[in-house]
Order: sequence, then structure tokens, then C-alpha cells
Amino acid sequence: MENPLLELERSALDRIAAAATSDDLEAIRVETLGRKGALNQVSSGLGRMLPEERAATGKLLNGVKQNLERAIEARRGEFESAALRAQLDSEWLDLTLPAPGTRAGSLHPVTQLQREIEDLFHSLGFAVLDGPEVETEYNNFDALNIPPDHPARDMQDTFWVEGGHLLRTHTSAVQVRGMGRLKPPMRMIAPGRVFRNESVDASHEHTFYQLEGMMIDREVSVAHLTYFMKTLLTAIFRRDVTVRLRPGFFPFVEPGFELDILCLICGGSGCPVCKQSGWVELLPCGLVNPHVLRMGGIDPTEWNGFAFGLGLTRLAMMRYGIDDIRWLQSGDLRFLNQFGGAAL
Amino acid sequence: MKFSYNWLKEYVEGLDAPPEKLERLITMKTAECEGTPEIRLPAHVLEVEPIPGSRYVKARVRAMVYGDRTVVCGAPNCRVGIQALYSPIGKKVIHGVESDGMLLSGPEAGLNDDDTVIYECRPGDPEVFDAIFDIDNKSLTHRPDLWGHFGMAREISAITGKKLIDPVKPSLIPSESSPVRVEIEDFDLCPRYSALVFDNVTVRPSPLWLQYRLTSIGLNPINNIVDLTNFLMAELAQPMHAFDHDKLRGATIFARPARPGERITALNDTAYDLSPSNLVIADAGGPIAIAGVIGGAGSAISATTTSLVLESANFQASSVRKTSSALKLRTDASMRFEKAQDPVNTTRALARAVELLRELSPGIRLAGGLADAFRPLRPVPPVTLNLDWLALKLGRSLQAAEVRAILEALEFGVEEAGPVMFSVSIPSWRATKDISMAEDLVEEVGRMIGYDSIPPKPPLIAATVPPEDPRRVFLRQIKTAVALQGFTEVSNYSFIGEEQAQFFGMRPEDHVRVLNPIAADQSLMRKSLIPGIFANLEENSKHFASFRLFEVGNEIHKRGGELPAQISHLAAAVFNREGDGTAGLFELKRLAEILTPGVDVQATDALPYEHPARAWRISWQGEIVGRLFELHPATAKGRIEGRAAILDLDLDRVLALRPVQAKYQPVRRFPSSAFDLSVITPLREPSGAIEKQLRSAAGPLLEGIEYQRQYTGAPLAEGTRSISFRLTVGAADHTLSSDEVTGIRNSIIETMQRAGYELRV
Repeated sequence: MENPLLELERSALDRIAAAATSDDLEAIRVETLGRKGALNQVSSGLGRMLPEERAATGKLLNGVKQNLERAIEARRGEFESAALRAQLDSEWLDLTLPAPGTRAGSLHPVTQLQREIEDLFHSLGFAVLDGPEVETEYNNFDALNIPPDHPARDMQDTFWVEGGHLLRTHTSAVQVRGMGRLKPPMRMIAPGRVFRNESVDASHEHTFYQLEGMMIDREVSVAHLTYFMKTLLTAIFRRDVTVRLRPGFFPFVEPGFELDILCLICGGSGCPVCKQSGWVELLPCGLVNPHVLRMGGIDPTEWNGFAFGLGLTRLAMMRYGIDDIRWLQSGDLRFLNQFGGAAL
Repeated sequence: MKFSYNWLKEYVEGLDAPPEKLERLITMKTAECEGTPEIRLPAHVLEVEPIPGSRYVKARVRAMVYGDRTVVCGAPNCRVGIQALYSPIGKKVIHGVESDGMLLSGPEAGLNDDDTVIYECRPGDPEVFDAIFDIDNKSLTHRPDLWGHFGMAREISAITGKKLIDPVKPSLIPSESSPVRVEIEDFDLCPRYSALVFDNVTVRPSPLWLQYRLTSIGLNPINNIVDLTNFLMAELAQPMHAFDHDKLRGATIFARPARPGERITALNDTAYDLSPSNLVIADAGGPIAIAGVIGGAGSAISATTTSLVLESANFQASSVRKTSSALKLRTDASMRFEKAQDPVNTTRALARAVELLRELSPGIRLAGGLADAFRPLRPVPPVTLNLDWLALKLGRSLQAAEVRAILEALEFGVEEAGPVMFSVSIPSWRATKDISMAEDLVEEVGRMIGYDSIPPKPPLIAATVPPEDPRRVFLRQIKTAVALQGFTEVSNYSFIGEEQAQFFGMRPEDHVRVLNPIAADQSLMRKSLIPGIFANLEENSKHFASFRLFEVGNEIHKRGGELPAQISHLAAAVFNREGDGTAGLFELKRLAEILTPGVDVQATDALPYEHPARAWRISWQGEIVGRLFELHPATAKGRIEGRAAILDLDLDRVLALRPVQAKYQPVRRFPSSAFDLSVITPLREPSGAIEKQLRSAAGPLLEGIEYQRQYTGAPLAEGTRSISFRLTVGAADHTLSSDEVTGIRNSIIETMQRAGYELRV
């Protein structure tokens, strides 16, 4: 006949293996290993045993106890990991649902382009300056060698405001302010909003953005101007750009140029964008007129300079293929929301 | 300004560059041609039908740009299949058939002398084509000489190296005295006035070649005399005017400022009130022309004119421009005079007139010689040109001979004044305004060598870190921060209208006014971004159930005689079609806290367009920097269906108040303790005020105070709420004992109770 302890052990191990829940397991533990459990009852009977029987039974008892404890522990581990698995499984998530909270907004396309160009010039040592939108006639015209009753004033239809002031017609108005603030040698750009008294249609706006640039140093030549423009435009358009200069009249430069770039669409063979000419007129520029240097308090016998005016609005339209300038001031989020993500 | 290729060819011997090539040359070296030249091609005669009882035929021609036309032609060689020259001029009815234009003979087209037949084009015949160049007027602003074909021909001659042919024969002006006298009151305003008198004049239509020339550049032929003056203006750039001699009162012509109260009815049948700032041409009876702008109706040429005074004068550019803009009357003449015309040109044009009038008005006689009043021209000092300096300016080396050849081709006088030095004299037609310094000659040489012959060269410049404008950097950071919080940047106009201003409770007279607005609703400079943002809300609320947008822009504020103040503002808005509006307001408060950490929000009296219970002042560092509000439902009504919250921050104030980053505080080594307090307050007492009182009651050991929750309802009395805060206290040098913490807590409770608050402990 089998030792009742071993029988108890086998039956307990069977029950442990069959336990369905950790509560069942706990009940088995209490019944077998608990204070009033079966093993404790055996152990309390040890005192009545003969010494050799006591030793053998005690040893067996310890073995059974350890076996049962191990089995219960192992079984409990199984229950716990199953429970963890179940819990983790229940935490399945559909992350394709939209994230709560607000999406990032976006910067205006002209702001984005302006920043890009500001950074470019900054890296080349140009200071970024500001000037007021309501300007003096002097800064906008006279100091730029455009006296009153000069026909060149026709080139820019001007908004006049009370007090004899005007809405600056070009960022060139910052030239004289810049020469006053920075001493030569100097490099500066001045981006900003300008105004022309023109009716608005798909390609004309009375409010748009320009970026004026100016460099004054001991030696500044047409060759330097061409180099700078080519370098910058190559960076702006992110591809090699071919430029050409041709005569253009602007009273604040002498000589003055219109700068064209070889059409980026057709490469010069002619297309609707370049009106079949192969070239796209991009920006006016020139060597700073000595009169303007003098107005800025700079001695033209010592210093030379170049200046240029970039149409930020026009560049933004070229970059994003915007075919109607009115979108830019429309405040219409159906348009503006398309410029999110990039460049914050 | 339009130029005819055939016309230009009259003055450039053997010009063989085709129009397209010439267009490129002019654009690259002189002035911008707008678009490709408009080519005039021959017309194909498609059908010919005799007109019974006459030697004429009715011909249907395909006339290229004009389309299919029916013309009546009397020439024996008009037959199907030939290519002829069509002109839209000379419309009339011949033998009962309407002729819609005409086919030209050789002399009519200025091509040969055979007037017995219409000109027949041979295949590839280069003579018959005309091409019209349209040169951008703006690119001629500084070039008075290029407002006529001869001046442009001079450029072409210099560019192509072909010989220039001057059509003027100065010897045609006889050296006799004139029957009229000229008196100039102010030689600054009228440096020169020349005139010739002609008798035995016949006013009649011009010969067809002349009509053809004028129509080719867009001028309407009128009669031989008017056409002559227009032709000379388009040829030599000299505006002229013909008076009917018999209608002049007295034998003296005055060039003088108008007398106060004088009036003139001009050729355009409009009466103008003149002022002393207008220069007039007058006879003994009063003004007969507005100098340099337009002639008077009273002395105009008519069909019965038999004697004429032909004026060829020079007027001060700025005076003509002032008068022309004051009278809002721009004419072909004023456009030329305001570019500063050459006083030498007046007699050249008269000499040319003598020659042409013999043909245009057969039998015409000169009555005497030239009447010519002028101030002797100041000699134009030569310009010294240092060739080394020139090379430095262009960034390319040059041969002295090359420079000399270019300048001489443009009719500058070149003398050697030193080893690398030229003394350059300026021709009169370039000396009025255009060229006065060496820099001007850099352009002359540069454009003729071709700027594309100057290879780009990197400049040698000092490596310097450019100065940074903190304001610009700040505005840039603000835009980025706001966009990252979910707002989309808009750009609104700087203009608003009076009605718009009034709608927002702002007085129009407080705005800087635009004197010449583009439209009545854009007559004021904005002194608030809110009207623009309101328009954005209205427009976008039609398309979106919720959105956020912002603008960073300038408010313009009146400031006496100085330039107006320009203040950078941020206006940010949140719109929700659904909901009670609180979410948007808290979102904007959060935005304010991000931009101005520790910002203070205090309820304030609402402006007319603000929700009366939802308007707050934003303070930072103890100063008011903006407002936060919900749009008043009455303002939004019918235009914005939903709730709109707006934050308006004065960024210039915020920038000025920005604290310098303080030195770091050591992190406390001893643990702190926290406890909660709930204060029962009247319902509308702001929690911010309670928090402030708790803060001051807590004393120096307070480390932080944090809002936990609020509660209304039983057991609290009606009209009250309980607001709970968690306070954290600690000391830098030891761990607070529980007695100390309890002491602080009790002292806060007592202070609050003394202030009249009940606490739920």
C-alpha cells in the first residue's frame, strides 16, 4: 500500500494541474499547505511517531511540501502570464483613428519664401533690415534720385496719405535708412510689404512683397553683381540658373539692369511662361548711383555698391505655381492650409 | 512707343538685320521691346470681280492680321493670286461699292516710284514686310532722344555698325527775319521757342505714304498739317504745333505763365482753368496753347486755313509734367517734353518741315525766316572717363580703342586727356538729363560691349557676422509658435473703409487717410487688425465648421506731422460653429500663456463688438499688452454663424517687456509638503483673484500653487462655488516638520477667513 503522504501529493498535484482559476489554486494551497491543511495535520502527528519513523516521515513531508509549493508557484505563474496576455490583448488600439488635439497650422507661402531667402542672405553676411510701410516722400523717391516731377515717378503709381507721406512703393525706400544705420562696408536686405495704386486682377495687386538688397564695399563691379545674383538665384531655385543683364532704367542705379533668367520651364527654347522668348524677366538691379550713396552719407569716390529688388510675391507664385495673385491676400484657408507642414 | 521697322530703315543705310534679330539687339543693348515685333505681311488677292461701268474691280483679299477684307482697286494689275500690300486706311465707297481699306502702290508704301500699279510682292521680298516694335515707355524714361525714329535709328546704327542717315537739311531755313516775334518771359520754363510762318497753305489729306507711316505706329491721319506735326514728333521726337496765322491776334507770340483766372478751350474741346503754375503760349488776346501739352481750339488749323505758324519749342520738363498732371491731361507732346527734350532740336524739326511741306501742301511759301528766341545754351562740360576705373566698374578689361569706338558710334566726342583718361563731350540730345557723369558712360560702354561679355566674379569681402534685429527675430519666433499651436497665417490688406471702421466703433477721423484710395472701402489705414480678422472669420465660416487663423501685421496710428506710428500686432482667432464658445477662449488663453508665460487675464468692460461678459484685458509684467474676447453675437449676426474668439496682442509691447533670462535657482535639496484647500466664493469671483490671495497669505515658504477643481451644487449655497487648490510649501535649508506645515496651513485659513471666505477643510 502506498504511503498516504505520496498519495496526498499525487492527488494534490493532479488538482493543481487541473485548477482553472487562481482562486481554485488558492483553495488547494489552503487545503494542503495551509495552517489547518493536510500536511500540517501530518506534521502535527510527527511527535507521536517513533524516532526513525519520524525522521523518514519528516523528510518525506518536507519533500512533498516543497514539491507542492513549487507546483503551486509554477501554476500561479501560468495564471499571471495568461492574465497579462489577456490584459495586453484587450489593449488593442486602432491608431489609424485621428489623433486628438489640434493640428499644426501653417505659415503664409510668402512668409515661408521670405524666411528661406532671409536665411540665405544672412549666411552670406547680409543684415536683415526693416522699414516702415508708411514712408516719407524723401526716402521713397528723392533720396533715390527721383525728384518731384520726375517722370520716373510714373513707373510706380503711388498711394499718398495725409501729412505728405506715402505708402512705400518699393522696399528700395530702406536703402537710405540702411546706409544711415550700417556703415560701409555693408551688406543688407530689406524684405517687406509695398503698395502700388493699381487695380487688382489675376496678375496685379496693390499690396505685395518685395526684398531689397544692397552691398557697399570698396570695389563692387557688374561682374560681382552678376556673380551674386547667379549664386543666390541658384540657391533659391535649387538648380543651376543662367542669368543675363540688359539695360534697364531706375534712377537709383547707374548703370541699371533688368536681370533675366533662362526660362526654367523650357530651358530657353520658348514656351508660354517665357512668352516664347526663352528668358523670364526676374529682377531689376544695378550699381548704386553715386547721388544715392551721397544721400546715404557715403562718399562715392571711396565706395561702390550694387542694389537689387526681388519680387517676393512673384517668386512665391513661381515656386508654387499660383496663377492668381489674389489668393495671397484672400485669407481663404482653403488656399492657405495647403502650405502646412514645411518650414515652421 | 511704337517703331516701324521700315521707317527705321530709312535712317540706317543697308540695315539687313531681320526684325526678330533687331528686336533682340535693341532689348539687349538699348531698351526693352515688349513681346516679339508685330509683323505686317502681304495680303493675298483671293477673288476679283469687275465693277460694271468702271475700270475698278472689287477684290476679296486675305489680309493677315486684318482678316478677309473687300477692297475696290483701280490698278490694272489687280488679279487673283498676287500678293499685294493692304492698308486699312482710305475706307470709302467707289462706284457704289464699299472699299474696306486699300491696296497700296509702290510710292504709297514708300517702296518705289511707280504709281500706275499696285505693288506686287515677290516671294521673300524683304522690302514689303513691315514689323512694328513696341518699346516699353518706362525703359525710355531717361532717353528723350529715343521718342522718335531717328533717335532709335542712331542706336541701331551704333549697334550694327551701319551708317546713320540724317534726314534733316538745316540749310532749308532761310536767314530772313520773321513776320512774328517771340517773347519768352522765363527762360527756365521755356529755354527756346522757334517758329516758321507759311503762306499759301492748302489743308487737305496727306499723301498715302504719310498716312501709312502714321497708322503703322497707331496714329490717326487727320490732314496734311496735323499729320506733318505728328510725323515730325515720331521722327525727330520734337513735338510741334501749328496755329492758324490769321486767327492770331497781333504779331507777337508770348511764352509766359498763365495769369490768374485765364481759361482756354483746348483742341479736345475741353475748357481748362489755368493758374500761374501753368506755362502758356499766348498772343495779344490771351492763351492760344498750354505750353508743351495741347493747342487751343481758337487758333486751330481748319479746312480754310491758308497761313500757318509752325511752333517748334522747348519747355522745361518738370513744368510740363506739373501742368499735365494738374490738368489730368497727358498728350504725346507732354510725354516727350517731360523727358527733357533737346533745345537744339527745335530748328532741326523746322528745317525738316520746310522740306516735307513742299510735298504735302504744293505751292506753300515760307513767309520770311526763323523766329527764334532762346537763352544761349550753357556749354555742357565734358566728362572725364578714367579707363582703369571703367574696367573696375564693369569688372572686365577693355581696350581704349574699343571704348572710343563705342562712344563715337553714339556720337560722343572723345579726346585723350591722359594715359588712361578720356575727356568725353556729350551730344546735345543726351545732355539734357541723361548723361552728366562718368557712371553714365559706364552704362554706354557696358551695354554696347554686352553685359554677357562680363564673366561673373566672386567679390572679395570681409567675413563678418551681420547684426541681428531682435524685433525681426522675435516676430519670426511668434509666427512659428502660433502656427505650431494650430493657427494658419493670413495676410490682410492695410486698408479698411469708413463703414468698416464705424462698424467696429472706430472713428474714421482717427485713422491715417489715403488721399487717392483705390476704392471707397479702402480709404483708411488700419489701426486695428480686427476688421481684417472679422472678414476672414466671415469668409471661412462658410467653408469650415471650425478653424484657427492668425495675422501678424502693422497697426498704423496717426502721430501729428511725423510718420505715423507703426505697431506690430498679433491677432489670432478660433472659430467653432458648435459649442458654447469656452473652448476657443481657453485655447487663446493658452496661446497667450505660451507667448507671454505668467500672463494675467482680467475681465474688463467690453468694446461694442465684444461679448459683454466675455472680454478680458491681457497684462504681462504689470502692463496691458492686449485683449481677449468673444465676438459679440450681435456683431456676428447674419455674417458669422458660430462662436468666434479673438486674441489681440501688441507685439512691440511684449518685446519691450520680455524679461532677461534670470540666473538659475538651485534645485531644493529638502522635500516639500503639499496640502489642498477649498475656498467657497461667490459664483463670479475669478479664481485668479483667490489664487493671488492664497499666494500672499501663504508667505515666503510657498513653492507653488495649483488649481485642482471647482464645484457647485449641494451642499453649497446657491450662487457660490468651491474652488480647490493644491499648495506646496518647503524650505531651502531643512525639511518642514508637520507642525510647521500645519502652522502655515492654519495661518492661510485664518487670513482667508478674515477676508470673508469660508473654507471647506
